[in-house]
Amino acid sequence: MASVEIDRVKKQFGDIEVLKEVSLSIRSGEFVVLVGPSGCGKSTLLRMVAGLELPSAGNIAIDSQDVTTMAPKLRGVAMVFQNYALYPHMTVRDNLKFGLELAKVDKKEIGRRVNEAAEVLGLSAHLDKKPGQLSGGQKQRVAMGRAMVRQPKVFLFDEPLSNLDAQLRVKMRTEISHLHRRLSATSIYVTHDQVEAMTLADRIAVMYQGKLEQVGSPLELYQNPKTKFVASFIGTPSMNFLQGELLQSLKGNVQASSAGVRPEHTFLANTGQGECVFLGKGQIVLVEPLGSLAYIHVRIHDHYLVSELKSDRFPHAGETVEFMITIL
Amino acid sequence: MNRKSSALAWGLLFPTLAVLALFVLYPAAQSFWLSFQDVEPFSKRSFFVGFENYQVLFNSPDYWQTVRVTLFFLLYTVIPSLVISLTVAVLLDANPFFQNMFRTLFLLPVAISSSMAAMLWIFIYNPTAGFLNYALDVLGIHGPNWLADPDWALVAVAVATVWKEIGFNIIFFLAGLTSIPLELKEAAELDGANSWQVFRYVTLPLLSPTLFFVSVVSVINSLQSFGQIHILTTGGPMGETTTLVYNLYRDAFVKFRTGLASSEAVILFGLILLATMVQFRMAKKRVHYG
Repeated sequence: MASVEIDRVKKQFGDIEVLKEVSLSIRSGEFVVLVGPSGCGKSTLLRMVAGLELPSAGNIAIDSQDVTTMAPKLRGVAMVFQNYALYPHMTVRDNLKFGLELAKVDKKEIGRRVNEAAEVLGLSAHLDKKPGQLSGGQKQRVAMGRAMVRQPKVFLFDEPLSNLDAQLRVKMRTEISHLHRRLSATSIYVTHDQVEAMTLADRIAVMYQGKLEQVGSPLELYQNPKTKFVASFIGTPSMNFLQGELLQSLKGNVQASSAGVRPEHTFLANTGQGECVFLGKGQIVLVEPLGSLAYIHVRIHDHYLVSELKSDRFPHAGETVEFMITIL
Repeated sequence: MNRKSSALAWGLLFPTLAVLALFVLYPAAQSFWLSFQDVEPFSKRSFFVGFENYQVLFNSPDYWQTVRVTLFFLLYTVIPSLVISLTVAVLLDANPFFQNMFRTLFLLPVAISSSMAAMLWIFIYNPTAGFLNYALDVLGIHGPNWLADPDWALVAVAVATVWKEIGFNIIFFLAGLTSIPLELKEAAELDGANSWQVFRYVTLPLLSPTLFFVSVVSVINSLQSFGQIHILTTGGPMGETTTLVYNLYRDAFVKFRTGLASSEAVILFGLILLATMVQFRMAKKRVHYG
């Protein structure tokens, strides 16, 4: 376990500035998720912690030791790649022990660690198979096992679940969470999926256009986003933003150029609880039923808003409804 | 497949099959048949002699000399050509900036015809006016008469052959190297591997299908080398550069011993087949396909 200190790190590729002075302190044993849209610089930041990219400016320290220019193998980090990066010509066992053999770890110890990791990850029956004979989930487990056996100071995950199907992704997410609790290792996890970020992280660092927008616990980001981007990025479906005539409907309640309302704080027709505000009449353009709830997309004038409706009966597209919001 | 599409398939295959049959299969079958014949020069008369041609060859010290020369030529060309081209390809792969320029530079010899390339090497190897001996003189070394010295002629021909071959090999190796995902090398780096270990344990095994293909083609090309030998040394001095193919050519088209030359062709075919089969057998354990 170790702390990670990212201090005013910049990265430029030619004229393009990918990271603009990013600073982030990660405590020992903490699970931090870097989240943001494609191209925001989150993977580049992770690769710099791994030592696969050099920062253009700034410093990175692991366990209070400056590792900014240190070779990857000396940093005590292990990485799980998006495409697993398993050696296709080696068996699962050889994949797991490759790093340990290079480090000249005692053979008995290698065997012990490999068997232990295989048992924890449910890979014992697959140790003599090649990666090509495994399913996506099994490959992902081998990639995690390869990181585990090295007992690194810091685990790095680069979008490890993005190649899996939805069901497997949920399962692996739970496994990663269990694993983190079991090992209590410092982990940095990159994803563009905010559900992954919310469910796994102790703290989430939201990145946008090479900058850190906000760092905080999942609920903190959800309830008190500091920027419009964080408000729109965290939460599914995205927050509704009211502008122009819709904002005027709120009358004295809001004094800003734009106001955000989460879909679960809206309802259709006069059925809500507590104090509410009528926003306007609109037409339903799309209904997305998800079982116990549905997302109702409504057009009011030229604005598209989404409402989360918990019911066993949903309205139909084309219907005219009254769009209300709850005042918290 | 129904009858109509089957007819279409045969129709489309016909031109290729016809050319193959006329220029490859028929001559090959003819060679095999002629290897058991004594053919009179400049006539169509021939006599069945059984294995006599083979016996003549196997009892001839000169023929065994050509076998020895061929094996040495194989050794002098295939291994250096593979090592040099793989090294250059790895260096170019690591420096994409130089890749285009050097790729063209190394591919140039492949584009030059064998005879032109050989002429170029005649100038380089010239004992009095050649560039090589001039360069050695500058270093205070007295260079031999490369193409006339029995100790050096085969090496000289092999160097010219390697020079011509490596560009072709580099292209294949570069393609193979480019197809290896960067993430695997990065994973190995994070696992603690140094550059050599990344190459030895990750790059090389994943390049093995390309390495296998290039080595099979190189062995076949080397066993069939003719143009450069014909122009540089005409098999001399004292038969030191007479390979199986060159001996075959002389028996067939200089001495007009068609039957004997045919049996040499059959033996050469057997040798190439054997070499390829050995390579395939070795590849079973060492070549990793995805």
